[in-house]
Amino acid sequence: MSKPTFLLQGTLDLLILTILALEPMHGWAIAHRIRQMSKDALQVGQSALYPALHKLEQQGWIKAEWKVSENNRRAKYYSLTHAGRKALAKEAVQWERLSAAVSLIVRTA
Amino acid sequence: MSRWLIQLRLLLRSLFRTRQVQQDLDQELQYHLERQIEQGLTDGLSPEEARFAALRAMGAITQNKEECRDTRRVNWIEDLVQDLRHGARRLRKNPAFTVVAVLVLALGIGANTAMFSVAYGILLRPLPYAGSDRVAVVYMRFFPRDFAFGTLCIRDYLMWKENNHAFEDPSLFRSLRLDIGGNEGVPEQVQGASVTAGFFPTLEVRPLIGRTFAPGDDQPATRSLTVLGESVWRRRFAASSAVLGKTILVNGAPSTVIGVMPGVFRFPRRDTEVWTNLPLNPPTRYGPWFFRGVARLKPGVTLQQAQVETNHIGQRMMQQNPYYKRLTLPVLGVREALLGTTLKPAILVLAGAVGLVLLIAVVNVANLMLARATVREREMALRLSLGASRGRLVRQLLTESVLLAVMGGVVGLALAWGGIELIRFWNPGDLPLIDSVRLDWSALGFIVLLSMFTGILFGLAPAFECTRADLNATIKEGGRTGASTRGGRTRTALVVSEIALSLMLLIGAGLLLRSFANLRSVTGGFSTQPRQILTILISPGNRKYRDDRVGLAFYDEVLRRARAVPGVEAADLADSLPPDRQGDADTFQIEGQPLAPGELNPIISQPAVGPDFFRALGIPLIKGRHFNQHDTQDSRPVAIVSEGFVHRFFANQEPLGQRIKQSGPGYGDKWMDIVGVVGNVKYLGLTVDTDPALYMPFAQSYGPLMFLVVRSSGDAAGLAAALRRNIQAIDPGVTLAQIGTMDQALDLSVSQPRFDTTLLSLFAGIALLLAAVGIYGLIAYSVAQRTHEIGVRMALGAAQADVVRMVVRQGASMAAIGIVLGLGGAFLLTRLLKTMLFGISVSDAVTFVAAPLVIMLVVLAATFLPALRATRISPVVALRYE
Repeated sequence: MSKPTFLLQGTLDLLILTILALEPMHGWAIAHRIRQMSKDALQVGQSALYPALHKLEQQGWIKAEWKVSENNRRAKYYSLTHAGRKALAKEAVQWERLSAAVSLIVRTA
Repeated sequence: MSRWLIQLRLLLRSLFRTRQVQQDLDQELQYHLERQIEQGLTDGLSPEEARFAALRAMGAITQNKEECRDTRRVNWIEDLVQDLRHGARRLRKNPAFTVVAVLVLALGIGANTAMFSVAYGILLRPLPYAGSDRVAVVYMRFFPRDFAFGTLCIRDYLMWKENNHAFEDPSLFRSLRLDIGGNEGVPEQVQGASVTAGFFPTLEVRPLIGRTFAPGDDQPATRSLTVLGESVWRRRFAASSAVLGKTILVNGAPSTVIGVMPGVFRFPRRDTEVWTNLPLNPPTRYGPWFFRGVARLKPGVTLQQAQVETNHIGQRMMQQNPYYKRLTLPVLGVREALLGTTLKPAILVLAGAVGLVLLIAVVNVANLMLARATVREREMALRLSLGASRGRLVRQLLTESVLLAVMGGVVGLALAWGGIELIRFWNPGDLPLIDSVRLDWSALGFIVLLSMFTGILFGLAPAFECTRADLNATIKEGGRTGASTRGGRTRTALVVSEIALSLMLLIGAGLLLRSFANLRSVTGGFSTQPRQILTILISPGNRKYRDDRVGLAFYDEVLRRARAVPGVEAADLADSLPPDRQGDADTFQIEGQPLAPGELNPIISQPAVGPDFFRALGIPLIKGRHFNQHDTQDSRPVAIVSEGFVHRFFANQEPLGQRIKQSGPGYGDKWMDIVGVVGNVKYLGLTVDTDPALYMPFAQSYGPLMFLVVRSSGDAAGLAAALRRNIQAIDPGVTLAQIGTMDQALDLSVSQPRFDTTLLSLFAGIALLLAAVGIYGLIAYSVAQRTHEIGVRMALGAAQADVVRMVVRQGASMAAIGIVLGLGGAFLLTRLLKTMLFGISVSDAVTFVAAPLVIMLVVLAATFLPALRATRISPVVALRYE
């Protein structure tokens, strides 16, 4: 219910897809990576993360499988599907366009 | 793997491996939690602190899971299954509520489905002949024969045909009773039709075997041909195809059977079983007016356009024949022609009424649900606070009510089936097309939709009511089921509307009941007990009886034997019978009362009767004398007129001794002396006001087709067999038909009003019962809730009478508002009953006073029980209550 308001709708999906494009990863690692890469600027709560993951899986953009994690425990690893890669390319372009437009307005206004 | 395959796999997994999916999610979240704790530890927190921090960061785990489930899109199916299980469990736990609600709904749904089937079968189901919606029947109405859907003569038909552009090849038919006889068995009389060659092609029907009439078969001097209906064919000819080409006797004359029509084909009447060819002999004069036209509209022509054209043709007919006044040629579709004009409005009114019953049932169940909803407010509040969305809860509650409605629908289906069987078996209204009334797929579809619809209807209010619950207030109340005033108001409004609706139905039923009582109190003009009168139509068949000497001798013998049958007090003959079997009717002339050129006296009943006819039926002789055995073919022609006749045509004159004659085409110059005046008798149905009559002695006005009228000392029905035996002993070729008591004839003549009245009263009764249940429930509930308050009042010295007054006042004030609303609605709606009422107005004061009184009494009775219970409340117990 309490969705992180600082993330634009759909932005989280883009972040997840981008990160999974590097390598398959489990939920906690994705959250961790987002935090690291954004230098602690973005914090994704699980309440937003897992529904988003499940939704992406449902859309067929990512797939999940159980694997043994780096600390020898069973964890659910998500990876991009073919459709997911295509979606990522499209979303990324769109994001570029959007953020450029927003910056333009913010700077010139 | 393509995307949709993945999705399908996931969907199936979610649906069928719920446990597995659930576990996966748990494990996934558990793993996350552990990693979070580890992170905390590496950041230097104590294990305790790390755990807390992790949990805090994770938020409500359950909520999380819920949302993950939501994304799986299958949850509505899971939810539905879960809701159904949950609903079923709740209904099982409240058997009293469930049984009452299901029964109430079953009554409403069942009655509606039965009525739907009747309306659909009669008004909508396609007739069993192709393209029947393009076929019309053409009538003729003119003064002085003022029948709304009257008949034409062959000249009129030829004129219509000549000027017609709207229809393809118009054909002509006549309905008549036919005596069927021959070697195959005892002669019998059936409903028949005489038709031109175009009749069957117009209706686009094919015979079962053989052929129908060929183009030349309606030319003058063609031999007689017969097409049998399947029923006659099975009954009399054992369904043998050898019947084709066989010669049978039709009205005493030989006729060749050429074909058999399938049983579903019943036209022009719904009991027509035999068709003969109608030879179109060139007419030498106007009349006899026996015929109606039937024709198929040309492509692109509407019924209205055809009507405009026939009206023009009617104008020309009047120009050509000065005898016709105010002539029109009404056109009706085939279905309307079969149904008559009164049935459709009646069925629509009944369908509307039964809809109101359903509405009341729905309101009732909604009320029951609301009462439960207040109890459940706390449960709902708790679930809302635990993160369930409101939509989800509303959906769950709606699932429950739809489940209830479906159960009601199933029981209702049984009720509807029973109701339809009953209506078909009893056929109280003698309804046409009753054979096409049945429970079928359309009715099943109707019941399914109706159940869903009612379920949602009565579920919505309670669902919103209890999910709107103010969390804090409800939980703080500590579960005390105090009536929120809002819910109370909704319930009161529902009960008030129930009272208003049932009052409207009650007034409608009251009007029909009073109208029906009026109808039953119309005597028809005779004083002998109807059950003591037996009548038999005698059709001698053989052509020799057309000679009046032969015929009179035969009927003398019939009367001699009939009077000798034990139990027979009086017997005589008549060609007309009350209440609605008019025989001859024509216009007349009175000596010394010249008419303006072109004017005519109206057409009136002109029965031919034997001397004892008036005594047998108990028709009073007002003045003068009866006919007697000296009034014969060789004596002076005499006549008797009715009081109504005297009133209208001999105002301030002495009728006795005046001379009168039948006029109209084809009558000679036979002046008759008026020798007597008798009371008025109805020959055109009980609802027709006065019908002046001119009686002639049978012996001076012979016709071969006569009714034998017998008055018995007791029940007349038992005499039928002996009379039949005696008449057939004189001539076995004689056909006897329409054997029955006057009781039966009267019953039949009011069958449609009886149907309307019975059904509407039944509906009103159900409505009243439901309203009583509803108000009882509400008052009982509010008394239970006010136990505490009543206890306090009594402890403070309120007398029992005060408490009763207080509770009853609550019911009475609801009733008063409901009655005011209901009266308003009834004033508007009863106008629809106008054509169904006889002898009272649509705003009949008695009904409009009595019905509210009945409602008030019922409400008071329903209130009184809970009120009494309230007085038994012991203050001590009440204060400890809750």
